[in-house]
This record gives sequence, C-alpha cells and structure tokens, in this order.
Amino acid sequence: MKMAARTKARHESLGLSLEDVVQMYRVMLQTRMIGERMMQLNRMGKAMFVGVADGHEAAEVGSAWCIRKGVDWCVPYYRDVGVALVLGQTAKDQFLGVFAKATDPNSGGRQIVNQFSDVKAKMLSGSVHIATQFPHAVGLALAAKIRKQDHIVVTYGGEGATSPGDFHEAMNFAAVHELPVVFVIENNQYAISTPVKLQMAVANVADRAAAYGMPGVIADGTDVLDVYEKTKQACDRARGGDGPTLVEVKCYRYRPHSSDDDDSRYRSKDELQAWLQKDPIDKAAAYLLQQAVAASRLEDMRQEIAADIEAAITAAENDPDPDPATLTRYVYGEDAE
Amino acid sequence: MNIARDTALELYRVMGTIRRFEQRAEQLFGENKIWGTIHNYSGQEAVAAGVSAHLRDDDWITSTHRGHGHCIAKRADLGKMFAELLGRETGYCRGRGGSMHIADTSKGNLGANGIVGGGIPIAVGAALTAKQTKTDRVAVSYFGDGGANQGTFHEGLNLAAIWALPVVFVLENNQYAETNPVRDAFAVEDIATRAAGYGMPGVTVNGQDVRETYRAGGEAVARARRGDGPTLLVMDTYRYGGHYYGDPQVYRSKEEIEEWRAKRDPLAIARDWILTEKLASPADFDRIDTEVDAAVERGVKFAEASPPASPITLPEDVYAT
Ligand SMILES: Cc1ncc(C[n+]2csc(CCOP(=O)(O)OP(=O)(O)O)c2C)c(N)n1
Ligand SMILES: Cc1ncc(C[n+]2csc(CCOP(=O)(O)OP(=O)(O)O)c2C)c(N)n1
Ligand SMILES: [Mg+2]
Ligand SMILES: [Mg+2]
Repeated sequence: MKMAARTKARHESLGLSLEDVVQMYRVMLQTRMIGERMMQLNRMGKAMFVGVADGHEAAEVGSAWCIRKGVDWCVPYYRDVGVALVLGQTAKDQFLGVFAKATDPNSGGRQIVNQFSDVKAKMLSGSVHIATQFPHAVGLALAAKIRKQDHIVVTYGGEGATSPGDFHEAMNFAAVHELPVVFVIENNQYAISTPVKLQMAVANVADRAAAYGMPGVIADGTDVLDVYEKTKQACDRARGGDGPTLVEVKCYRYRPHSSDDDDSRYRSKDELQAWLQKDPIDKAAAYLLQQAVAASRLEDMRQEIAADIEAAITAAENDPDPDPATLTRYVYGEDAE
Repeated sequence: MNIARDTALELYRVMGTIRRFEQRAEQLFGENKIWGTIHNYSGQEAVAAGVSAHLRDDDWITSTHRGHGHCIAKRADLGKMFAELLGRETGYCRGRGGSMHIADTSKGNLGANGIVGGGIPIAVGAALTAKQTKTDRVAVSYFGDGGANQGTFHEGLNLAAIWALPVVFVLENNQYAETNPVRDAFAVEDIATRAAGYGMPGVTVNGQDVRETYRAGGEAVARARRGDGPTLLVMDTYRYGGHYYGDPQVYRSKEEIEEWRAKRDPLAIARDWILTEKLASPADFDRIDTEVDAAVERGVKFAEASPPASPITLPEDVYAT
C-alpha cells in the first residue's frame, strides 16, 4: 500500500489551522501567568483570596475552543480562568475580580473571585455551591430545545462536583430529554484534600455516564488537542440533536486548591513531580516547535502576555472600589423596583 | 433455593396481611375516617415481605410515602398503625403524623417519609452507625423509581459504595412515579445499570415472585452483614391502585392493570408455588387467611376504640426531652 505523500498533522485532521493552535497556546500561557501573579498578589497581601487553574490549561482551553462565541451558552466553575479568557474576558477582567473592584464584570466586586458571569460572553453566573451549575446548564439546554434555538450549552465542574445530587438530577434530566448539553469534568484528582479514590468507588468519572444512558468519554487533560477533539465530538453530537455527553478530562492542579490551602498536607512531592513532567503548556509548546513555529515567536508571546498582565494589574488597582451605598444593587433585577 | 414450609407460609402471611390492611384502610378512607391521604401498597407485597424476612429487630429500614407494607413486613403492630391513620392518641406518632409518618424505632423502622428519596441518606447514616460501632446490623432502604432520580439517591449510593457500608437499596420499580412512567424518567433500559456508576452490584429482580425477592434480599443482606458492602436491588413490580386514593389514572390503561393482576399477582404466585411444591394444603391457606382477617379487624377495633389525638398536647414531642 502506498503511503500518502504527506500525512496530515494532528491539528489539521481536527480541522484546526496551525494559527489556531498558536492562539490556543497563547491563552493557555496567559492562564498560567495570570495564576502566578494572582498567587503572588495574595502573598503580598493585595488579594484576599484566589484560586488558580495551573495544570488545567489544556482542559479548559481545549474544551472552550469548541464553544461558538455569542451563540452557545457556557456555565463554568471557579477554576475556569482559561475558559473565561477563551470566551473573551481579558487579563484586566480577572484582576478586577481579584481586587473586587466596582468594574469587575462578573459581579461588580461583590462575588468571590472567579465566579464568572458575563452576558456578552454568554457565561451564566454560578453559585459558590459546587454542582449547582449542572441543573442551570440543563435548564438552558431545555430552553434551547423548547424555543428551537440554535445554542448548545457547555458546563464545567470538578470531579468532586460529580458527587452532589445536583449532578445526578442534571445528568438524568439531560439524558431523558436528549438535551444539547456537554458536561466537561476537569478531574484533577482532588477535591481540596479528598483524593478521587475516596470520592468515588469507580475508576473514572466517565463510568458514571452509562448509568444515565449517556456516552462518557475520557480526554487527556495534558494534551490540548485531545481535549479539543473529544469535546468537539460531544458538541457536534449536541448540535446534531443527539443529546448530551460527559467528557472527563484527566488533569492535575499544580497549585494548592486555593490561596488558603496547604497541599503538602495531603499529597506528595513525587506525585506532583510526576504530573509536572506532563505539563500541558510544555506539551503544547513542543507541538508547535515540531510544527516549525519559531521559538522566538513563542518567547515574544510570553513577553507580550507578561507586559499585558502588568498593565492589567496596574489598571485594575486604579479602578474604583464599589460604593457601599450601592450594596443592595444587583440583588434583584434593576427594573424590579 | 429451597424455602422451608414455615418460611413459605410466613411470607404468605405477611403478604396477605399487607393486602388485607390496605383493603381495610381504603374502606376506612371511604368512610371519611382517615386524615390526610394514603398510598396503597397492594401489588408490591412480595418486595417488602421477601427482603425484610431477613432482618432482625435491630436492623433498620427506611420507608416511603407508600409505606404500610414496609411497616408490616418489619413486624409493626397493626393496631398502632390503624390508630395513626385514624389520628388516634394510641398511634405510632400519637396520631399526629398519619400514613406517611409511621416510625417504630423499637423494631428498627426509621420511618415512612413524605419526601421522595428522603429515606435513602437516613439508611446510609444508620449503616454508618453499624460500621462505626462495629456491629453486624444492616440497613435496608425502600424507595421508588421516582426516588431513584432524586439527588439523595446519588449521594447515598456513592457514600455507601466508597465506605462499603452495610446497606441494601431496594428500588421498587412499580413503573410509575405519580403519572410519570419509568420510560419517561430513565434513558436506560435496565435501571440496575445505575449501580455500576457507583461500583456496587446491581440486580434486577422479579418483584412479584416472593421466592425471588426472598433470595435476592437474602444475598444482599448477607453481603452487607459480612461487611462486603452495599447492593442495589431493582424490584420489578406494580401498584394496583392509583397513586393515591381517588387517582383517576388517566395515564395508564385498564388492560395494563388487569394484565398484572391476572398474571403477576404476588399472592397468587406464592399460593401456586406453595401448593405445587406441596409445602401446604388449601386448608392451611384458609386458616392463615382467617387469622389475617382477624388480626386486621382487631387492629381496626383497637384504633376505633382509641381516643382521638388532642390538639392540647400538640406541642409535645416536637423537641426531645
Ligand atoms: C455544596 C458545596 N460543598 C462544599 C463546598 C466547599 N468546596 C469548595 S471547592 C470544593 C472541592 C471541589 O472539588 P472539585 O469539584 O474536584 O473541583 P476542583 O476544586 O478540584 O477543581 C469544596 C468541597 C462548596 N463550595 N459547595
Ligand atoms: C421531593 C419530593 N418531590 C415530589 C413529591 C411529590 N410526590 C409524592 S409521591 C411522588 C412519586 C414518587 O414516585 P416513586 O418514587 O416511584 O414511588 P411510588 O409512588 O411509585 O411508590 C411524588 C413526585 C414529594 N413528595 N417529594
Ligand atoms: Mg478536583
Ligand atoms: Mg414508582
């Protein structure tokens, strides 16, 4: 048998241009670098509380890349800085949340950090209560079906969020009504200090899907293209009217759960090291270099992002704090009064 | 599995008692003597009888809104049950709760529950108690197909699986949750596949044949008692009556009901089996039926002779003293 003259590169067979992959890489790197600065600001006493996405970049960016901006709805969770950036939020938006400024797009400085909420980006505000996002997402998908709208819904959660009953009710309802929703579960092996083997007696979150008559697939969360591929298939299924899918993305968080957590108390350095060997950002960079993207371009990109982040922090710090007199605004709809 | 004569007749007696109790309860309801509502367990007798036959008084059950059968199979006092339904001071909850609030902790019955799926976490908690106190007590949670789609089911089964707790989940699939048929509530054909999502065994059982419910219940209870963890039993069954007394039942056909009654009646199946295997004679059944009738009538008499619950004492028993 004759070999094809040139085998397609992985991204090409997924329908992505090399420039797409470069841009995915850019957002991944931006996510990581924003996280680093958030943690620093916390340790400097400038940010009360932060939670970062280190290690989740491929999981978040690869999956969010499948969301059609301005069309599909997204119901993310607090770790999804990468998702928010893909959907159009800026570095400054993140720091406005960190500093709880009046101009914070998520909540005007009222919510805890990373409670993404953005009408333009079609990101539905979440609750701090984990797993409540799933029934909300299913409701949005039901609306699409009833109103014959074109959108699908992509919702996110950690593996810990698959234990509350909300997950069960949402999964069942979505499957029974064949709703256009994709559940992306970022399985980073821990729910704060609880390792996944104490969270569930099955090997994979994806194993749960069969109980609802829904496909469950596993993506390698260290590989942005694999995450893209699996999520894309799920989104296509939803768009084709074939119902929901559970996509489990296996990854690892490199940082403590939040700025208030000491992860050395529940996990070993060796374990962390093993996962650092598989760093999703390094993997994406290696792919780009192998595809003949110049190393200098990636380096320039890092510097641009760094400069943008510094400017964003300064600008965010200079924005006004919320006026206490407006405290009760946004509790109810503005026109309700 | 061979079931000895005494056990076979006891299973029949329990099922007969449930059937007769429900007939009398409906009659009393029709006479306007019962407060609140009642949910009839008729058709599902083999489930409670077969599983609870393996339980000791220090084992626990949690029950549902359709709970009379679970109570009786856990050896409740019929007089106190009727008294509760009739709102009498001598009832299980001094007549304040009614049908959906019968609990009898002396027999390990942690209570009926008006919240669909509400009993599941309670049973898991009881099983955790058994494990923490290093006893071999077992908890059984009865709930419906509707209950299985509540979040409590998910949280309860997951915890039971990861902690390998001595609990048996008995899902009574009576084909409907109120008006909603199971095919509109599950996207899986075989509900027992739910168990795999938690890493526990799941078994589908013919819930109309008490030999089957007795066998499956026995295995699951023994597994729990040995410390090998939980099991999900999906009992295929049917409720003969409406969801509640007076339900117009526009969501199912008369033919469907007749089909189950004629071909899959748990009492008829048990009689056939016991007679075929010559474990007992028709005269034995006549004797048991007469005894059952008498026991139920004694219960009704006791209740009707009891004083009504007094509004004066209503605030009592709200808090533990
Ligand atoms: C209902 C509820 N219970 C507990 C908490 C506290 N809590 C916040 S995050 C978290 C862990 C969630 O873990 P996981 O879903 O795996 O997400 P991860 O943080 O690992 O990304 C918990 C228990 C909460 N916010 N809401
Ligand atoms: C949490 C909750 N939701 C709704 C109801 C109303 N309700 C009472 S019984 C019932 C159906 C329960 O169906 P299933 O669990 O299958 O039990 P069955 O009645 O068939 O025995 C519903 C929805 C309730 N009591 N509790
Ligand atoms: Mg986690
Ligand atoms: Mg039912």
